Amino acid sequence: MNNICLKSIDKDNPSSLATYETMGGYKVWRKILNGELSPEKILEELKIAGLRGRGGAGFPTGLKWSFMPRNQEGQKYVVCNSDEGEPGTCHDRDILRFNPHSVIEGMAIAGYVMNATVGYNYIRGEFMEPYYRCEEALKEAYDAGLLGTNIKGSKVCFDLYSHLGAGAYICGEETALLESLEGKKGQPRFKPPFPANVGLYGKPTTINNTESFASVPEILSRGGQWFADLGVPNSGGTKCFSVTGNVKNPSNFEIPMGTPFSDLLKLAGGLRKGRTLKGVIPGGSSTPVIPAAKAMKMTMDYDSIEKAGSMLGAGSVIVMDDTTCMVKALTRLAHFYYDESCGQCTPCREGTGWMYRVLKRIMDGQGKSEDLELLLSVQDKMLGNTICALADGAAMPVESFIRHFREEFEYYIKHGKSMVENDG
Amino acid sequence: MISDQAKKEIDIWVAKYPEGRQSSAVMQALTIVQKENGGSLTNELKQAVADYLEMPTISVEEVATFYENYNHKPVGKHVIRFCHNISCMLNGSDELISYLEEKLDVKTGEISKDRLVSVKRVECLGACVGAPMCQIGDQYYENLTKKRIDEILDGLK
Amino acid sequence: MMVDIEIEIDGKVVHGYPGESLISIADRQGIDIPRFCYHKKLSVAANCRMCLVDIEGNPTPQPACSTLSSAGMKVHTNNEKAKTAQKAVMEFLLINHPLDCPICDQGGECELQDVAMEYGSDISRFTEGKRIVDDKGIGALIQTDMTRCIHCTRCVRFGAEVAGIVEMGATGRGEDLKIEPFLSEGIQSELSGNMIDVCPVGALTSKPFRYEVRSWQMNSIQTIARHDLVGSNIFTQTHKNKVKRVVARDNESINETWISDRDRFSYQGLNSENRVLIPKIKVKGEWKDASWSDALDFATNGIKKNAKEGSQFGTLASKNATLEELFLLQKFTRGLGSDNLDYRLDTSNPFNAKVLESNISLTELETIDHALIVNSYLRLEQPMINHRIRKATLNGASVSTINAKAFNFNYRISQSVLTSPQNTVATLSGVLKALLDKSSQTLPGYLNSVTIDQTHIDIANALSNAKHPVVVLGEHVNGNKCSDQVAQLVANIAKASEAKTLNASLTGNAHSAERVNFKPDNGKNALQILSSDLTAFILFDIYPNFDCIESKNAIEHLSRDDAFVVVMNSFDDESVLSFANVILPIASFYETSGTHINVDNIAQSYSASVKSAGESKPGWKVIKVLADLLNLEGFDFTDSSQIADEALSLSPSFSEIEVPISNSEMPNVATVWQYTPYASDVVVRHASSLQQTRIGQMSEASVCKATAKLLKLSEGDLYNGIPVNINESVAEGCVFVHTHLPRQLGVI
Ligand SMILES: Cc1cc2nc3c(=O)[nH]c(=O)nc-3n(C[C@H](O)[C@H](O)[C@H](O)COP(=O)(O)O)c2cc1C
Ligand code: SF4
Ligand code: SF4
Ligand code: FES
Ligand code: FES
Repeated sequence: MNNICLKSIDKDNPSSLATYETMGGYKVWRKILNGELSPEKILEELKIAGLRGRGGAGFPTGLKWSFMPRNQEGQKYVVCNSDEGEPGTCHDRDILRFNPHSVIEGMAIAGYVMNATVGYNYIRGEFMEPYYRCEEALKEAYDAGLLGTNIKGSKVCFDLYSHLGAGAYICGEETALLESLEGKKGQPRFKPPFPANVGLYGKPTTINNTESFASVPEILSRGGQWFADLGVPNSGGTKCFSVTGNVKNPSNFEIPMGTPFSDLLKLAGGLRKGRTLKGVIPGGSSTPVIPAAKAMKMTMDYDSIEKAGSMLGAGSVIVMDDTTCMVKALTRLAHFYYDESCGQCTPCREGTGWMYRVLKRIMDGQGKSEDLELLLSVQDKMLGNTICALADGAAMPVESFIRHFREEFEYYIKHGKSMVENDG
Repeated sequence: MISDQAKKEIDIWVAKYPEGRQSSAVMQALTIVQKENGGSLTNELKQAVADYLEMPTISVEEVATFYENYNHKPVGKHVIRFCHNISCMLNGSDELISYLEEKLDVKTGEISKDRLVSVKRVECLGACVGAPMCQIGDQYYENLTKKRIDEILDGLK
Repeated sequence: MMVDIEIEIDGKVVHGYPGESLISIADRQGIDIPRFCYHKKLSVAANCRMCLVDIEGNPTPQPACSTLSSAGMKVHTNNEKAKTAQKAVMEFLLINHPLDCPICDQGGECELQDVAMEYGSDISRFTEGKRIVDDKGIGALIQTDMTRCIHCTRCVRFGAEVAGIVEMGATGRGEDLKIEPFLSEGIQSELSGNMIDVCPVGALTSKPFRYEVRSWQMNSIQTIARHDLVGSNIFTQTHKNKVKRVVARDNESINETWISDRDRFSYQGLNSENRVLIPKIKVKGEWKDASWSDALDFATNGIKKNAKEGSQFGTLASKNATLEELFLLQKFTRGLGSDNLDYRLDTSNPFNAKVLESNISLTELETIDHALIVNSYLRLEQPMINHRIRKATLNGASVSTINAKAFNFNYRISQSVLTSPQNTVATLSGVLKALLDKSSQTLPGYLNSVTIDQTHIDIANALSNAKHPVVVLGEHVNGNKCSDQVAQLVANIAKASEAKTLNASLTGNAHSAERVNFKPDNGKNALQILSSDLTAFILFDIYPNFDCIESKNAIEHLSRDDAFVVVMNSFDDESVLSFANVILPIASFYETSGTHINVDNIAQSYSASVKSAGESKPGWKVIKVLADLLNLEGFDFTDSSQIADEALSLSPSFSEIEVPISNSEMPNVATVWQYTPYASDVVVRHASSLQQTRIGQMSEASVCKATAKLLKLSEGDLYNGIPVNINESVAEGCVFVHTHLPRQLGVI
């Protein structure tokens, strides 16, 4: 456990350059600077590793990097998505706090592969502690001559800067992030064109998640195959999971893909005494909820979670026991999307508010029998009809909560109060 | 309108972006002037940031009203931003927020009578393994309990 | 060159260009795809999601506006999947939209209403209470009702992309997204009214039009806007013989789909109380209403009596008169044996248009790579011409200026040379010399003693490095005593740099006046007419207070006891009453048929939109009757189109002249007097809403510190009635007045 991105977590001075280097850090980067590792070789290793983007969509990282027009003239950019805002997710924060050099090295390698000489790490505005750690790490890296122009006489150039957000979940969406980085409000762009063609400041840009970048140095140092073998087919390597909610020891765990959910639950100390599992949201608030029985049978990898009816997403496992009122839980999530929609697409702007208000009304004891059908219909009309996936993320929980816990909703509508004894 | 010190800080950010892209620094510029102004923005400050970064004022206004971390009305000296999202909710954030409101005699969104604190409900702050949690200034406070809240409040001056 | 792509829309094989959006192909084919945010002249936003269509092979419906065609695509715009998606979006749009179309000002011409009717959407499921948005208000021209806004951002994109002044924005997020300006100071753009046209719903409507009539009660009449050199195509919308609203009419090569605020809102002037409605004659110093025939007799008798010789008679006409009016008036004047006629009332030294012609078309302006703008605040003077140059700048063109003040253009000015009027000849000579030096050409004698500085060289370089440069000369030249030399130098610079030229110094229908040669061959020009001992005059739609450069002298001169002044006016005016002997009321804009010749030499004829006010009559008819009464030959017209035919058969014929460049005596301090665009002619001066705008209210005399000291002026003092503003954007030795108040200074 905690072998790659979180491997410094128990060390003294975990975020320092010295600690990082004693763990083999910057080995790959130095190899590159010595001209011993070609971009092609790196891409190949990443493909073998089966590293899929850790930000939620799970797009193969090597493939994404290969889309960059690396030989096209002009500025290109690498951007790290450290905007971590998906409810239930907080492992990027730990990577930034405890292992910032892995992100720096990962981004530098990416810059080298894609011939992008400038990188930005977009850190969510509230992450001040991680930001200061990253700034310190950057200073160390610059002082050690690992970043800059013509690094160690290699002709390789890479400058890296931190950027701070200011509170908007939507900026985690990669094109919203680019808008925000340009000093605008974070409204996602429609695609195509994709950032690899028209990205930051209109230039070719690749955006990856913090964990994706942080995984790269270790993969290249130990080999793609090594990494792939840690996981299961189609879900290579290890992945950080934030386990939160009704567990005894909520924490981040970097475990092999394919680990049974039940094992992960045990790692997190299991449920509190006398409690039974009701449901699990496996990939962050935007992914569908899975009822207990199904959850206990799934393993933590892309395919298995999909088979269980949800998505691995950002690897944010929200555990809900029998004390949880599912109506309240869904209402809270609906409020989140209502609050965070950027508002440009009609279905999302209007739909998130509509769904939240109906749920709120149910919570206020004013539910109507037709409300559930209405909610299902509204979420269905939002799905797949918008510029970015926030609307889908808002819709899917509604559908899954109602599907799996319908009787709780019906009870609430009928009785004006929660079915869960100690709630409401 | 913008102090020399603030301008210096803004310039550090401006330097991170390519020539002519100084508007990339707008979010930080607003953060900096907001801090200097005791935690909230005014029309004059937004205008000043627009002028300083050579942006249309309405574009600054768009940014200032889009992001959660800008305040458009005065706030307490300390803003307690309490997460009420799912992981925190599952760990009792609602109860703690009520406790806080009672103890301070303020509602969320309001300022305490001594203007020392205001309380705000916010969405997930990305520290869910430490739920329930809140943010005051740059600092996160995790695994909160009533007792811990008492301590924290005692420490606020 | 363009490769064709074949795709299939609704089973029909259609053609498109690579990279063309589906909606654009569909539009060309007449296949209707509902849309709100898409606008052919604006960037794609793809936010309304109304245009969702089904593309085979795609799991989810895709927006037709942002999806680019690729060969072989099979698109369905109205199958089950597409319709379901479109209906869904429609429902979302309506849940927070008021459903009180009958009281909405957009009712009957609302895109949302149209599409909603077609879908017959079930809108009763939303019971959560509709959103109410409070409005900031955005000024005198545009009424906002933001509760109706559907957040399509067309208005925002219009501001950023077309108007070039980012004033409206989308603030907040999610449901709180709000379209608004920063403060409610009012929109500044001279093109702002187009936001009304682009707004698909009743969120932005015409403020002056408010509460007037319902849109379907009006007639729409195609006509031409007459205020500037462009002749934008418009519809006047009328009700009970009044123009109630003006909207843009598409004409790609003239105004595309836009019009200036001046063209849109000036119609209000027609309905002002200040119209002359009945003929009037002055008997023994007293004004009396008269019948048309009495007034006409009075006029002709007066002319006959006071101008025994043709040479004692002079005619002045407005630059905004119609081609027909100008043609008949010059025929009338020449028929009386006079060559004293002019329309160039605001120039101190009228130069022959041949010195500087316009030889670039509006569409060609978009393709220039450098523009040198001389003596012009082009954005306010000629909004649509400026718009074309702005489009060129968006494609990379650079612009330099030689002006007395640094103005607020809606594009970047790469070199701005501040030059007072008295130094303009020297500056232009410097540029010309630098240009000729570069190509090692021999210098004409007058350049020998000219010194060149870096700014001259920079401008010369910009011009000579450009492949398609243009030089534009604007209004400020008119007040310059050496305007003819300035024009000549501009022509010489253009020649030396192979640049096209655009002469925007004379606006309105000046091209018609030039076509019919409404100026003296050997007789007296405007200034001379108004200062020599002529004894009979016709003034056609002229208000000397504003229109004449030496207004005080002019009024005094016309008030002489031995002067008989026939006035044909559409508006009442104090000063006119003081000197006129007879006032014949004539039709104003939109009340008469006529022809406008624009800067591209395109003659656009129009018919009257409404009957003329009161007893007033179309100008051409009045002139014709006067001519008949005076037994002049060649006025057998029964219809204005016959006049236009004859006028247009003329080709303007003047001799090419070369103005000598010399050292003229100039004052130490000179004044440039520019009217706001809403004081540029009598109709717009009476348009009350335009007067309330920030542009309309402008009134300041800008002067730099040094010159202020010289003139002993301090901030806030009045300079010829205009409040002084001391700032360093003005050339030394110069006061730049920008105002809506009548001119108090003459030739400088
Ligand atoms: C609403 C929304 C929020 C997102 N938030 C994040 C985020 O906080 N962090 C992140 O890395 N990716 C987030 N993503 C995914 C990004 O758009 C993008 O796919 C990702 O950063 C790509 O990096 P990867 O390929 O390394 O995963 C979000 C996507 C959506 C639609
Ligand atoms: S789906 Fe929602 S968040 Fe995403 S772009 Fe559209 S409105 Fe914005
Ligand atoms: S005001 Fe009109 S044009 Fe502007 S966003 Fe709203 S609906 Fe669109
Ligand atoms: S839910 Fe509270 S910090 Fe994430
Ligand atoms: S017209 Fe295509 S999304 Fe609005």
